[in-house]
Amino acid sequence: MTDSGIDLNKTYDAIVVGSGAAGGMAAHVLTTHGLKVLMLEAGKKLPIEQELRSMEWPYDNAHRGKLPPDRHALNFNEYTIRKPPYGPGFEKSKHLHSYAGNNDYVKNIVVDERENPYTGTNYAWVRARCLGGKTNIWGRLSLRLSDYEFKAKSRDGYGEDWPISYSDLAPYYDQVDLYLGITGVKENLPYLPDSIFQRPTKLSCSEVLLKQGVQKMGRVVTQYRAGVTTDGLKHNKYRSRCYGRGACDRHGGCDIHAAFDSPTGLIYPAMDTGNLTLRTNAVVREVTVDSDTGKASGVHFVDSETMKDYTVRARVVVIGASTLESARLLLLSKSRLYPNGLANSSGHVGHNFSEHVLGCHIVGQVKDLVGKPSTLDDGRPGGFYLPRFQNLSEKHPKFIRGYGFEGGGGQGMFPGYAMDLKGFGSSFKEEVRNNRGAYIDMGAFGEMLSRYENYVDLDPVVKDKWGIPVLRFHVEFGDNDRHMVEDMQASGQEMFEAAGFKIVDLRTKTLTPGWSIHEIGTVRMGNDPKTSVLNQFEQSHDVKNLFVVDGSAFVNAGCQNPTWTIMALCWRSCDYLADELGKGNL
Amino acid sequence: MSANKATNLKQDRRQWLKTSAAVLGASLLPGQAMSSEVAEPKTAPLAPEGKLGETKSATRFFTRAEYTLIEELSETIIPADSHSGGAKVAKVADYIEQVLHASVDDNQRSDWRQGLRLVDLMSQHYNGKLFVDLSSEERIAVLTVLSDNEHMTDLPEIRLFRDLKYLTVQGYYTSKIGIHDELEYKGNVALMEFFGCEDPVRESK
Repeated sequence: MTDSGIDLNKTYDAIVVGSGAAGGMAAHVLTTHGLKVLMLEAGKKLPIEQELRSMEWPYDNAHRGKLPPDRHALNFNEYTIRKPPYGPGFEKSKHLHSYAGNNDYVKNIVVDERENPYTGTNYAWVRARCLGGKTNIWGRLSLRLSDYEFKAKSRDGYGEDWPISYSDLAPYYDQVDLYLGITGVKENLPYLPDSIFQRPTKLSCSEVLLKQGVQKMGRVVTQYRAGVTTDGLKHNKYRSRCYGRGACDRHGGCDIHAAFDSPTGLIYPAMDTGNLTLRTNAVVREVTVDSDTGKASGVHFVDSETMKDYTVRARVVVIGASTLESARLLLLSKSRLYPNGLANSSGHVGHNFSEHVLGCHIVGQVKDLVGKPSTLDDGRPGGFYLPRFQNLSEKHPKFIRGYGFEGGGGQGMFPGYAMDLKGFGSSFKEEVRNNRGAYIDMGAFGEMLSRYENYVDLDPVVKDKWGIPVLRFHVEFGDNDRHMVEDMQASGQEMFEAAGFKIVDLRTKTLTPGWSIHEIGTVRMGNDPKTSVLNQFEQSHDVKNLFVVDGSAFVNAGCQNPTWTIMALCWRSCDYLADELGKGNL
Repeated sequence: MSANKATNLKQDRRQWLKTSAAVLGASLLPGQAMSSEVAEPKTAPLAPEGKLGETKSATRFFTRAEYTLIEELSETIIPADSHSGGAKVAKVADYIEQVLHASVDDNQRSDWRQGLRLVDLMSQHYNGKLFVDLSSEERIAVLTVLSDNEHMTDLPEIRLFRDLKYLTVQGYYTSKIGIHDELEYKGNVALMEFFGCEDPVRESK
């Protein structure tokens, strides 16, 4: 042991970079196979229950749950009028966060933008450097992809097919469902396969009305499919079942861990095997290479607090640092053997970027619910999901691929609609009260087409707090994305009207790229080493003992939220990794 | 102020700024409020700190008079009624003062001050009294002018109304009274089963 906190003389079976959904799953699978794993996390281990305080009432919080005044979270206008890096111009704020860091419960989970700058096109990059990463605060909507995504090119001719089919991944989705718990209702949709669901939540009245309204149009509204254990998990002592405590909607996490997070769901159980070593505050800046074999030999990391530099060795390196950070790490890992960065003989690292476009948010009022007594519509990890309906059997003339809506209706703790109501006084107060259960809203998530031209590379000048070159973005929505957004807005209105709702607000501004926090691509899989970085097991075509197991491996985004697929893919890849390592093939 | 027709604040205030200037003396008028509204004086100086009453203490954002005005204004925005208490008993003014004290810089502070003074000038003009001395009907009438002219955000008194309404809504509906008494929120409790809508047709009729 040295002051590094870990044994640097040891060669681990595997180093896992990152501790979010991908890193956590890699640690779980590899330690289960008996491998000795070292996990490196750039941030610290937070006292997470003290951060989240899921049931704290606003009036018991010094800032009513909002950010303390010395902090600022960027808003839509600031992302729009300013260019990254977003540090300059906010000198009044001691800490500056992405838009997602906008309350007192997540302020220490998201990064400080000044310590972690980036350049290029405007991008709302949400990063969480701490044990568990973004899984501490994720939205939990957990959806499977289908062959509509895996074989999208075969269907519409655009992009590339994935090197796998749904049938390859289905057993791993099942394992993720059973190991982590997921709530939902079976719908038997070929384009949104069912999971093995635990007890479902229930729809509120306005959501039932929407379901009935869109049924006539052949569309589906189903309970929010959340990565939350509603029945509990006998094999996991760190997580409670969901008790519907109702603060889920304030963008905080779940302090009883009914909602999946990587530490309690994956990492702590992996540590209990005795096979996992965890090193936090370890900012990995390079994957090292054995110049004789060309294989990965370990990593260099900087201690985030002491700034000291360390090297650690392993037989296999598994990167799960998040879509953009993983690409950055490969680009940073330049050597004589790999002058364009590691695993980058194709030149595709950083390219084929994709995510979800958020171009429609619609709010409706249910007239029949105005003036009704207070109802308990809260206490659910989410409201509803309305799966895609475009480009399934018929082809839309203006765009390819699809989008789905997520949303919710009913009474919550805070009447967010109040500021949109005109006037003041007793009539205003009464109107707020009368509408407490009458609002329903939803927002669309659409597939942004993966394009080679949308990419990230290293900024030649700007460096982060640890002296590491930062990412430069070259990311913009394209024509297909814009046509899809127009359709989202039209169909959103059409469906709310079909349900009999009065539309009280329709946001038609497309949110800054990054807002979905569903970035994928940049290190994509494929069968052809000339146009892809990884094979079907998320293994580098160039470097056999290097795996990249997060969203960066995706070939397209689909319109489904990516976390469950990240974990299913990672499980499959790590099973393969362990097998190959056992056979001496790595 | 006609009961039937909305007052156009920009037309009206031209007159009451002039009148007020004549009656009260230019020194009591906020400088920026005057510019382009009255010919003379072009840049009336701000009243020195403390001239209107108490000096600001180190821990307070408002003078005592300003605080009372904020209290009465927020109560006019969300009043007590037969259903529940209003902004005053929910201590919304304390919340507003805390937020502003922590987050507002000198420019924004003088904007708030100007807005408050202009509200008093309006009250003087229409009713010959400060806002806190008005009857509740008279208070409503003054705020109605501001509310009806909400789009004129170049005017400090409109910005005051908009910001005050925002903070009153934030403060009130995050208070015990707002959450429990007024909206009768039933959530944030541990549940054995999820609630749901069994019969939307019956429940929504």
